[in-house]
Amino acid sequence: MGSLRDVLSPFTAWKHVIETPVTIRNPIGREAADGYRGFHQNDIEKCIGCGSCEVICQNAAIDMVPVSDPVDGDSGLRPKIDYGRCCWCALCVDVCMTGSLTMSNEYTWVDTDPDAFRFIPGVDPKPWDDLEKGYRREGGRVLTGAERVEMGELAPEARIDNFDEIVAGYTREQAMIEADRCVECGLCVATCPAHMDIPDYIAAIREGDYDLGLQILYETNPFSEVCGRVCTHKCETACAARHEGDPIAIRWLKRHIVDNVSEDRRLEIVGTPQTLPTRRKVAIVGAGPAGLTAAYDLARQGHAVTVYEAQDKPGGMMRFGIPEYRLPYAALDRDIAVIAAQGVKIETGVRIGHEITMDRLRAENDAVVLSIGLHIGRSTRIPGTEGGGVETAIDLLRRITAGEEVPVPKQVLVIGGGNVAMDIARSMARLQKVKHGAVGVTVTALEDFAHFLADREEIEESLEEGVEIIDARGPQEVVRFKSGNRKGEVKGLRSWAVTSIFDDKGRFAPQYDQGDERLHPAEMVVEAIGQAADVSILGEDLTEALDWNRGRLAVDVAGRTSEPWLWAAGDAVHGPDVITAVADGHRVAASVGAMLMAMGEVAR
Amino acid sequence: MKTEKLSQMATAEEVIEAVAEFSREAHSFYTDLVPKVTKDIRYLVEDLARAELAHVRMLSDLMKSPDMRDHLKDAIRRPEADRRFSDAVQAPELGDKPDDQQVLQYALAREQVALEEFSELAANTPPGLLHEVFSFLANEETRQKADLEALYYEIVHSGGV
Repeated sequence: MGSLRDVLSPFTAWKHVIETPVTIRNPIGREAADGYRGFHQNDIEKCIGCGSCEVICQNAAIDMVPVSDPVDGDSGLRPKIDYGRCCWCALCVDVCMTGSLTMSNEYTWVDTDPDAFRFIPGVDPKPWDDLEKGYRREGGRVLTGAERVEMGELAPEARIDNFDEIVAGYTREQAMIEADRCVECGLCVATCPAHMDIPDYIAAIREGDYDLGLQILYETNPFSEVCGRVCTHKCETACAARHEGDPIAIRWLKRHIVDNVSEDRRLEIVGTPQTLPTRRKVAIVGAGPAGLTAAYDLARQGHAVTVYEAQDKPGGMMRFGIPEYRLPYAALDRDIAVIAAQGVKIETGVRIGHEITMDRLRAENDAVVLSIGLHIGRSTRIPGTEGGGVETAIDLLRRITAGEEVPVPKQVLVIGGGNVAMDIARSMARLQKVKHGAVGVTVTALEDFAHFLADREEIEESLEEGVEIIDARGPQEVVRFKSGNRKGEVKGLRSWAVTSIFDDKGRFAPQYDQGDERLHPAEMVVEAIGQAADVSILGEDLTEALDWNRGRLAVDVAGRTSEPWLWAAGDAVHGPDVITAVADGHRVAASVGAMLMAMGEVAR
Repeated sequence: MKTEKLSQMATAEEVIEAVAEFSREAHSFYTDLVPKVTKDIRYLVEDLARAELAHVRMLSDLMKSPDMRDHLKDAIRRPEADRRFSDAVQAPELGDKPDDQQVLQYALAREQVALEEFSELAANTPPGLLHEVFSFLANEETRQKADLEALYYEIVHSGGV
């Protein structure tokens, strides 16, 4: 039985008929507050498809979907948002690595098709695409650090009279801070020639699990200690973090892992081949990064691998081309020790084509891999280059590494603007400092500073060490004394100013200002303009039998030459780069391994 | 004095024939060189031989063209560069086994000589068909020289720079 109140109360609602309503009669079309978090906008040109928005979304409202082909530094994916799940929290906007993702203040949208509420902002056109009001992250990224942890280095005055390693390596704390900046987008993986699993080994650093980190490194790179120091780190050019700050120091983090695992432990983790010997034999010519990587892979597959190296020690350009202040020989030796532990036989001081012919290698092995590098230094061949006092950088660097005596005059001039030019300039500067107490090295390059081929760090460090670098100079003649006690000796380099080096199509077309002529005084000129492979080891018959591609050995995608028993890899095929050579070594090893396995199947 | 001036003159036909001979000699030189160089750089010599042959054909077509026929006897002042041009017709010795850099340096030197010759011929002829022809040939040489310079950079200034 209800009370009188229960009977009358519905009628009390009638009083609201005459009151001003407090709700919105028609919410559609009413503009939200300026900073309201409404439907997303995405600047499709700025977005790199890193997927940080997808990862951070707590409601799984974001899926990364393909909208274009991937390129370096851009996955080609873009976020597709499901507004049935989106809670409009804007974490995706806050974490966005490029600032491309924003939210308009448009929040109302009526549609009878439920699928319409899942769309790709910036790709699927929407009326709010150009709205300026809405939610934008203020300032730069705050969820992930923008600045790289600085690497400790020897000061110029402390390093100029020795070949001690310059870079100190990260401490545990520094590495943690740097690793924390990584959002694990994986854009770097595609850019790394060896496709190293960078996000996972950085995650291992965060976990403090260096054994795991090392294991991950060795899945793709048996030269991780080397690459942790001298890799060209193309990965860092694709890093999402570079868009609003510094890229993650991927190279230094890789080194940090190896620095924290002892040599013995490294051998334990990597282990030795867990397979029965196949009785198949492979000869590899050249103990550089490509050859030794192929050797590592093939040995772990159970094949008997012998690497032949012309120099007295293995390592190729890593040892004889890169100065010790950048890559200590001990670090290289540790990487090579792991490879040798797989049963790889390395025969040094054996020059193929002299002590052993290619024919013999072919006869005694099931497969042969050529990884001969680029060990011939090119010369400009300008007048005066023939005769004493003119050297090639490659030869000088090799002699310095081998401990041979090299001329160290007070004034040296280097021709070239690449990393090899900087390597020899800095090496000579050290030797001069020890011998004469002062640095007297000048580098002249055809390129202007904007087009220098050397890494920026190399140029900066060279300048710090007192090397003089003069850009945009075209070498014309090595001038020699014409009379007196020093007749015939080098007096210097005559050069003209380069007014432009490339034409409007970006092709080499140097233009000189002959009126701007200079004589750069020097007692020795070092040419560091380019390198070539010594293909004479092949002999005339094999050279004739092989297919060539504009001066380089023609190989298929697997690295196989036109001769079915011969593969080629490394700098001689794809140009100079350690990590590219490592990738190449894996590629030919896979191809050689497949062929040897097929031979085994046939034999059964 | 008058004789000297006359000797400085030539007909368009003579000039173009000299140019064609220059390219024929070059084609012959490169063709002979092909078997002498190692296979890895043979492409380079073959490319150069092909380019010279194309040049010869182009000049031959030019001489046969009706427009040009009317101008073949036109007098043209011999260029200053003519002596260098004539010298370059005699191909130098590159040795038994020239390498890619030697071949390229030789080819670049020839292109430079031809470029100077055509540029001067163009400058020595008044506006009209002959002027256009020599300007075109000078532009062709400029383009070919640019191609060779780009190739030179690619081959010589590569690898570890």
